[in-house]
Amino acid sequence: MGERTLDALNPGEAAHVVDLDRLHPLRRRLLELGFVRGARVMVVRRAPMGDPVELRVGGTDLALRASDLLGIRVRE
Amino acid sequence: MTATVPPAIVPTTTVPPATALPRLPDEAACLQTVARLKAAHEPRVVVVGNPNTGKTTLINAVAGTNLKVGNWAGVTVEKREARLSVQGRPLLLLDLPGAYSLSPHTPEELITRTALLDEGPDVILNVLDAGNLERNLYLTLQLMDFHVPVAVALNLVDEAREKGLTVDAAALSRVLGVPVIETVASKGQGTGKLLDTALKGATLGIGVRYPQAIEAAAADLITRMAELPTLPPHAHRYLALALLEGDPSVRGRLSATGHLPLIDAADAHLAALDAEGVDALIEIAEARYARAGDLARVAVPRAEARRTLSERLDRLALHPLLGIPIFLALVLLVFRLTFSVASPFVDLIGGPLQTTLAGWAAAALAWFPLGRDLVVGAIIPGVGTVLSFLPTLLVLYLAMSFLEDSGYMARAAFLMDRIMRGLGLDGRAFIPLILGFGCNVPAVSATRTLERRSDRVVVSMILPFMSCSARLPVYVVFAAALFPRSGSWIVWSMYILGMAVAFAFAWALRRTSFPAEGGGVLLELPPYRFPAWRVLWKHAWRRTASFAKRARTTVLATVAGVWLLLALPAVAGGKFATVAPQDSVFGRVSEAVSPIFAPLGFGNWQATGALVPGFIAKEVVVGTLGQIYLGEQAAAPAPLSLWTGVQGAVIATWDTIKTSVSAIPTVLALPRLGTDTTADQKTPLAQALAAAFTPAAGLAYLVFVLLYTPCIVTVGAIAQEHGRRIAWITVAYQMGIAWGMGFLTYQLARLWM
Repeated sequence: MGERTLDALNPGEAAHVVDLDRLHPLRRRLLELGFVRGARVMVVRRAPMGDPVELRVGGTDLALRASDLLGIRVRE
Repeated sequence: MTATVPPAIVPTTTVPPATALPRLPDEAACLQTVARLKAAHEPRVVVVGNPNTGKTTLINAVAGTNLKVGNWAGVTVEKREARLSVQGRPLLLLDLPGAYSLSPHTPEELITRTALLDEGPDVILNVLDAGNLERNLYLTLQLMDFHVPVAVALNLVDEAREKGLTVDAAALSRVLGVPVIETVASKGQGTGKLLDTALKGATLGIGVRYPQAIEAAAADLITRMAELPTLPPHAHRYLALALLEGDPSVRGRLSATGHLPLIDAADAHLAALDAEGVDALIEIAEARYARAGDLARVAVPRAEARRTLSERLDRLALHPLLGIPIFLALVLLVFRLTFSVASPFVDLIGGPLQTTLAGWAAAALAWFPLGRDLVVGAIIPGVGTVLSFLPTLLVLYLAMSFLEDSGYMARAAFLMDRIMRGLGLDGRAFIPLILGFGCNVPAVSATRTLERRSDRVVVSMILPFMSCSARLPVYVVFAAALFPRSGSWIVWSMYILGMAVAFAFAWALRRTSFPAEGGGVLLELPPYRFPAWRVLWKHAWRRTASFAKRARTTVLATVAGVWLLLALPAVAGGKFATVAPQDSVFGRVSEAVSPIFAPLGFGNWQATGALVPGFIAKEVVVGTLGQIYLGEQAAAPAPLSLWTGVQGAVIATWDTIKTSVSAIPTVLALPRLGTDTTADQKTPLAQALAAAFTPAAGLAYLVFVLLYTPCIVTVGAIAQEHGRRIAWITVAYQMGIAWGMGFLTYQLARLWM
């Protein structure tokens, strides 16, 4: 039940956003797209070469690179 | 202008729900806005919405043929506007580029934000995707920070209902405090009364009440702004909040316009907030999402979990094993479609149509030989060259728009991202490169989908190395002449070599002139949608027409220039226009230049001269080689009677249409690999080439043709997108690389052959 970064989730798993790293290069955009505290994020799938990763937040499907998932902390 | 301007009606249903704290707009300012709206001779309605909300389709449905498409000043983002009359009242409809938010991340978003600040909008028409309300409402709430009346078009309601959502527009209108009109733009539903309702009913709405500390800071900044006449009053609240969010583009703009004290004040507030443990950026985003969530729950009271078509399609399209093969197959399909459907038309324009026209011109101008030669030798072929590009471009643009608007391009970017990463690019950059195999021109304009300018420039600069379809005829002729056994291998290796050089060059560019900008990569995967044919056709047609407009001057000038050089005698006693090619200025200049190509194995004036028209379009190289080696003078075609000409043209056109249509089913057949079929019929040109080139020199020539300066039209497209400087640099280094690679090829090939 502890906190993890989003890259630790497997496809099909979901968790709630705790916070975004202050230095995350996409911080502003992610906030605007709904990565606010408490929002539910689901990992939908990984691309054929393992990266990037498709996520679902709210009604939006988007893809981030695994390296950009490190700065997103979540909990169950 | 009628005197009976309808009064702005404030809906009686704007009672805020208990969940939302109403923002009480300053009453005087509110009345002022309403008065301005009434008085505006031609109110400006700006249309704003997230990408993929069907906004373009909606605009097309509303504005129809009044829509004028141009470019925003200084950038290559499309500007769509229409002057309309709604119930006898004129208005200007201005479509702003799609934006997720007003803190700009892309050139498109920057334009939208800037237009909201500077274009003096009287009404904001906000288009929402009913199937994704929460995120769409984030932008709505940000728009409400402007002091401009808002009306909402709730689009794609059909799709939302298919997803199992219950959409209640009346409830949304009630809690948002602005009129909400349900629309299904693709079917024209709700679009008729949209503008009328927007004009009459738009109100300031109920925006977000931010946490007290932030509201206090914003209020202070707004007070300071009141003393600054240069800041548009309708944007004060928005600007204050953007400053507190630390929006770099707003800070940049304000500091550039000399508002440093304002920025200092904002920084002081931010420091104070930070000391209290308040992160304004996060608090503002959370306040907006909290309100957006509340609104969405009212508007969409019931959502069944239903697996959508998009999810099912993605299971296949993004399959771990099948995803990439499916993508490659689709690309192949697009090219086969393009060439099967377009090539009969290309042949028609290049062949019978031009011959017929040339015949008429020759007959009509028989009394004026010089004019006749200019028209027949330069103008008709010049125009013909431009026209012969059009069928290919139209089909390619149609296919491209289909893949884009359907949502598939975003999937392609997702699949290809990993491959492009080594070059400091993201998956989206793969699409222009693939398109480059068809034609470099649309590929250059496709770089617009990339967010960062340096990415756009790098991709445009390596694009011309992708072997476009116009280069294929050159390979085919040489392969048949010099390598009858291994022709298909030669052709394939050209494609591979082009790609290898492109990637190597991107790598080099990244390490020298255009280092990869940092920052994460975010790819949106919008739901699949079947695009409206009308919109696709309009897009493709407009892009093709704008190409023709751009290309005609350059191409005509270049063709006329080559003709003139070929016509000018360089020897004493030579007569203008009848001089033999080798005695023309063209021949002499080519001869003077040709030693440069001696280390590449083809240092004669014929081979060198044929490269020059290749600047216009690379397939012309073959024609010029024919002219030079076989001595086919561009003799005036036999004059035709008007009637025979028309007859011939009609028959040829009909045959073309038949061939083109009958080609469609064969598109689905497997592609024919290689070009060996051409080998059994050694044409006179092939024989001449076999005599003139050693295999090693022929190979070097092909490598040079593959890599040297793209056609003048591509150069024009690069200049249009990125400026003349980048275009000239591209021309220069491609010449250099082509020479270097040609040299290597010749010297290495000589060792083996």
